Amino acid sequence: MQNRLTFLGIESSCDDTAAAVVRHVPGGRAEILSSVVDGQTALHAPFGGVVPEIAARAHAERLDHCVEAALAGAGLTLADLDGVAVTAGPGLIGGVLSGVMCAKGIAAATGLPLVGVNHLAGHALTPRLTDGLEFPYLMLLVSGGHCQLLIARGAEDFTRLGGSIDDAPGEAFDKTAKLLGLRQPGGPEVEAEARQGDPRRFAFPRPLLDRPGCDMSFSGLKTAVLRARDGLIAAQGGLLRQDRADLCAGFQEAVAAVLAEKTRRALAVYSADAPVAPAFAVAGGVAANSRIREALETVCAGAGVRFLAPPLRLCTDNAAMIAWAGIERFRLGLRDGMDLAARPRWPLDQTSAPLLGFGKKGAKA
Amino acid sequence: MPPEPLILAFDTSAAHCAAALLRGDAVLAAREEPMEKGQAERLMPLLEEVLAKGGAGWRDLAALAVGTGPGNFTGVRIAVAAARGLALGLNVPAIGVTRFAALAHGQPRPVAVIEDARRGEAYAQEFGAAGGSAAQIGALDSLSMAITAPCLAGSAACALAVLRPGAVVLPPLFPIAVAIGREALLRLATPQPRPAPFYLRGADAAPPSDPPPVILDALP
Repeated sequence: MQNRLTFLGIESSCDDTAAAVVRHVPGGRAEILSSVVDGQTALHAPFGGVVPEIAARAHAERLDHCVEAALAGAGLTLADLDGVAVTAGPGLIGGVLSGVMCAKGIAAATGLPLVGVNHLAGHALTPRLTDGLEFPYLMLLVSGGHCQLLIARGAEDFTRLGGSIDDAPGEAFDKTAKLLGLRQPGGPEVEAEARQGDPRRFAFPRPLLDRPGCDMSFSGLKTAVLRARDGLIAAQGGLLRQDRADLCAGFQEAVAAVLAEKTRRALAVYSADAPVAPAFAVAGGVAANSRIREALETVCAGAGVRFLAPPLRLCTDNAAMIAWAGIERFRLGLRDGMDLAARPRWPLDQTSAPLLGFGKKGAKA
Repeated sequence: MPPEPLILAFDTSAAHCAAALLRGDAVLAAREEPMEKGQAERLMPLLEEVLAKGGAGWRDLAALAVGTGPGNFTGVRIAVAAARGLALGLNVPAIGVTRFAALAHGQPRPVAVIEDARRGEAYAQEFGAAGGSAAQIGALDSLSMAITAPCLAGSAACALAVLRPGAVVLPPLFPIAVAIGREALLRLATPQPRPAPFYLRGADAAPPSDPPPVILDALP
């Protein structure tokens, strides 16, 4: 029982309302007592993408229900908890604010400590939640909103080696799906089409591979898909199913190639840390793509580095990772006051130059 | 006789952070701070200050009362999310009170509450002896046709009165948080739904404009 911590986690930074209870005893593996994710896919589907105001409206009225469900699922009451962790950014601010205020309400009412968590840290620390991975490890966060390669050296110590300077790959998957008349979210749809397609028929660009470093770009790739599509439509008045499958396969192959090559470069940088047990972990919804996963596994195998991908439900947005990141922060003596701010932009690595978002609002990531 | 219930009322639906602690309908402490932004950071410390000024703690509360708008979408959510979190943590009810109900509280009936909704529009709801009509949003001139109550309250009451000769404009009776708390007191005896933002305006989302490509050999 010594220094056992049981934390509630709350997540509402995009289009999933989530709450979870995680317990950890020092020296042992963390235990996810419950993890509730109430997704909003159906709410946003008619609009071809996540609509921030619709997301915020849903979060505000679902968060407390999710918390109750998570507590019930864990068989616990608030009195059994040691703290409340909440995503305080980065993300869609309306949702983040609702989560932060709900967490503050619970913390104030119960006297429990409040810990604000960076959503990206939640993803980046997930391999420690699932596998007890030791620092330092290399991490690829690849989702609908984020794309970064990071060395995780501590729960508060991340070095970003590179990332997307424009769209995140998940966003590119969604946009490609939209261009080809496939459903949202685009990831699984494009992957299913790609399975029937020829990845060599369309030569899509591999942006920034010709430049040193680990930065990536995916918005040009989406434009290339659009041009290829429009060329086919101009020539034949529409698309054949095989065209669509080939476009998907070519697109997916380009994303996989870029992620694999940039990961290979990042592994070279990471090796300078001389880790005892080198490891690479991937997180985010795009990690569900089996072609991309396969490409990353190949790179790791070539470099003699352990490859780790948390189960899908912990790769995509969830609150177990937030509860866990809260426990990690709390063990470092960190906690927040009732003036905790919700931040739309919050780079995990505060020292590297911003990748995205400049000006008075500061770096997005 | 049991002591009157202690209610903490608050509102961030406009450019302010407002809170009041009431024992029954007696105000023990109240604060209202004008604020364009930063309500999310300020609200909880403000509530703790108001509780302390009233000599009470969180555990002494019988209920929470929260303003649900209409108003600034984000502002409404800040207070409503906090109220729901507090209600869960304290195991007491949180009662949502619309800005209309708060501004109509204690006013003679029938009364129409007219609030500036920006973009050249106003929000309105009429209250008669039996309760409130459906709230509406529209341009002032169309509202002036729809509204029949002789007495008007709210931030756009004067503007509407210009279009409605003979209308009587009533000044507000209570600070907003006090009105929300008093209105909640009336509902305390009956079960209330969880507070939900009262937006009255849609989310301003449009379906994608570019049509999907034609699939020439689409499966039936």
